Amino acid sequence: MNGPEPPRPGRPRPPPVPPGLPGGAPAPLGYPRGPWPTDEPPTRRFPRPDPDRCDGCAACARACPNGALRTAPSASGTVVSLDYGLCLFCHLCVDACPSGAMAAGPMGELAVRHRDDLRLVRGGPRPDPERLRHEVGERVGRLFAGSLSIRAVDAGSCNGCEVEIAALQWPRYDLERLGIYFVASPRHADALLVSGPVTRNMRAALERTYRAVPGPSFVIAVGACGISGGPFVGSAEIEGGVDRVLPVEVYIPGCPPSPLGLLYGLWLALGRAEPRLRQGELPAPVGSVPGTADRRTPARRPP
Amino acid sequence: MSPIPREGEEAVEGPRVPREEPAAPLDRATEREMLGSLRAGTVRWEPTEELWRLSVEPAQWVWSSRTATEGLGHRLSTLFADRTGDGPGGLRVHALFLGQGSSAGVHLSVGLDPLRPRLASLVDPIPYVAPFEREAAESFGVEFEGARDRRPLRRHGARDPEPRPAAGDPPAGSPAVPADRFAAVEGEGVHEIAVGPVHAGVIEPGHFRFQVVGERILRLEIRLGYTHKGTERLLSGRPADLGTIWAESISGDMSLAGAMAYAQAVERARGSVVAPADDRARGLLLELERTAFLLGDLAGIALDIGYAVGAARANGLREEAYRTLARLTGSRLGRSILAVGGLRRPLLPVPSDRVAATLVGLGQRTRSWSEELLDKSSVLDRLEGTGTLPRWVAELVPCVGPVARASGLRRDLRADRPYGPYRGIEVRVPRAREGDVKARFQVKVAEIEEACRLAGQFLEARDRAGTGGNPSAGPSVAVAAPSPTDGLGWVESPRGEFLVHVRLDPAGTVGRVHVRDPSFLNWPALEWAVRGNIVPDFPLINKSFNLSYSGYDR
Repeated sequence: MNGPEPPRPGRPRPPPVPPGLPGGAPAPLGYPRGPWPTDEPPTRRFPRPDPDRCDGCAACARACPNGALRTAPSASGTVVSLDYGLCLFCHLCVDACPSGAMAAGPMGELAVRHRDDLRLVRGGPRPDPERLRHEVGERVGRLFAGSLSIRAVDAGSCNGCEVEIAALQWPRYDLERLGIYFVASPRHADALLVSGPVTRNMRAALERTYRAVPGPSFVIAVGACGISGGPFVGSAEIEGGVDRVLPVEVYIPGCPPSPLGLLYGLWLALGRAEPRLRQGELPAPVGSVPGTADRRTPARRPP
Repeated sequence: MSPIPREGEEAVEGPRVPREEPAAPLDRATEREMLGSLRAGTVRWEPTEELWRLSVEPAQWVWSSRTATEGLGHRLSTLFADRTGDGPGGLRVHALFLGQGSSAGVHLSVGLDPLRPRLASLVDPIPYVAPFEREAAESFGVEFEGARDRRPLRRHGARDPEPRPAAGDPPAGSPAVPADRFAAVEGEGVHEIAVGPVHAGVIEPGHFRFQVVGERILRLEIRLGYTHKGTERLLSGRPADLGTIWAESISGDMSLAGAMAYAQAVERARGSVVAPADDRARGLLLELERTAFLLGDLAGIALDIGYAVGAARANGLREEAYRTLARLTGSRLGRSILAVGGLRRPLLPVPSDRVAATLVGLGQRTRSWSEELLDKSSVLDRLEGTGTLPRWVAELVPCVGPVARASGLRRDLRADRPYGPYRGIEVRVPRAREGDVKARFQVKVAEIEEACRLAGQFLEARDRAGTGGNPSAGPSVAVAAPSPTDGLGWVESPRGEFLVHVRLDPAGTVGRVHVRDPSFLNWPALEWAVRGNIVPDFPLINKSFNLSYSGYDR
């Protein structure tokens, strides 16, 4: 390059942007190798029912737009069950609760490997967990040597997830620094990143795309739609979640998940982070530990 | 090469054409007289919607539509069916005509027999009615006599043969749906390229069928419907106040615009008024969303011409716009903050001066970035004369939003039919004449600057009003007794005119909601604009339009 072209005469030039004026690109990110960033705007967190403060009025369940939250009376109080795979993070339940029992939990590192880990039951016994056998599972890091090529498939989303997935490729998140790439063809991909509730019109295309990915490969379901159908649950036009059609390895909840939540999910898929959410419960608060420590993948160890 | 025209300036190149002035609106008495000549059952003036509502007989359907388009000079904005009962007249077809500039709109409706709904097609006076009628035929079994295009809009031929009513049940014995095929061009050296529905980038699904000679595109046919989720039907029977949640997911990249249009429709149906402080907060968020959205368009254009550095810088600015939205609302896309009647909860406490400075910075940086980009001959080589949409085509389609404005049409609901926060303020409407990718680029740059200016203005007004930095989240004031009825909401979304029509049930739940995304009108314009261009320019042209797939399919 020969440097900037000289300004042409007679053209009005805009005034230079004064240094220090806000509104420029945000700072680059160390996460997920480093700790959760401190300069992240506070996004809405996920609701956490507190059985001790609950008076069983069920206002939260009535407020929930798509049935992610349910309540049932029990001998000892109220059983509150909440499915983070359906939750839209709209906080209507938090606003509706008169006794302040719906506290907002931390947000971000919510991706899990088992659908069951997104189902929270408080105040009562929970049903037996359904653990599906994962084909690739913990071996992902070894199989793909810490680098991953992803084919993103929109299976009928509203384009909200796409906004955040696309943001991963740009300044601040800069996905490629982690060795993760978006590729243009399923033939080049190791994994499918699927958003949307899988509409009936997209089902065939999604299945054909999956068959075009050479093995070993796996599928990541993104957003409330990709996990369960999200707000569109109950519509006859959708299949209702990617795992109705394809085996899913990692679930990334949110409506849409934030770019940081997506980064964590991809890091989890690579086997470089442990899932935090266990049956809807969070053992340690997010951000308290740089839990997504830069574990070396088994592939890098000498045999 | 010309600088980006600002409001009041014309681009310096090309022949001088007289500036388009909106036709002087007819006065209400003249309109009433013209509409009265239709001998309609009822003519009702809706002051809050600036709309004449007419109920006509099936025999008068074409004639009254002609009066609206040819007599009053309006264009058809949407057409949809609604089923309210099983008796005669239980299935209604509605058509909405909006005028040029600030003239009043016309809402026609006609009652049909739900068992055998037949209606004359409007295709002769209004050629672009076809997708609307196809949708009504597919979802409600309305048979449009004289319609030439009877292909289903979302049921893709043989792969999905069973009928899937969107909100009603098509009557038994309704005519079989013809299988849909793509039109083919024949001749020596013509070949076909099929793209999609799964595309190479992180974008929505749709199928593009090109007929090509060498690299030149002879014809493009777009098939959508892949993201059809049945949103309209899903909303029927739900509490009206919850509807914004789904309205945000019509086009997820314009969540706020969708929620705003829906909220307005319900507010107008109920006759409620929004507190001025809430209106200003809505305006601030809507303009921030516009800024973020359009910066994404600019970045996409830069990326598709291979100018990765420029794309990265624009995307950095876009990220800052989304982060500002997150600081104000707790959600990067502004989800679950707008509600029917105002805001769902107060905006988060953020220092106003910081938001104001960010807005100034975003506007200035966008302009200086775009000037730098358009100073490069290699950039101009790709943008100039690419994907030209002539004004007469834009008028015929008819286009809305930045696409229309880049082809010289002055269409902006914020200026033409001011709503909510835009009442009583001046909105500058940037335009260009050329209709090519560069024109759309320039219009979008100017719109970002205007959006930042307006957002700053709303912020300042909020501070002046002294609401402690936060608008009230209190309930809106009902001026009329809530009577279950119809309401229309309109928003100038980042893509253009976004309409939502809501009919409330007596119980206060949603009876039928109809959504007209701006892309529903604009998609055919893309088929026009790519003709004669080369295949490698298609992604660039597509990005300069940036139409919504999900908004079309719903």
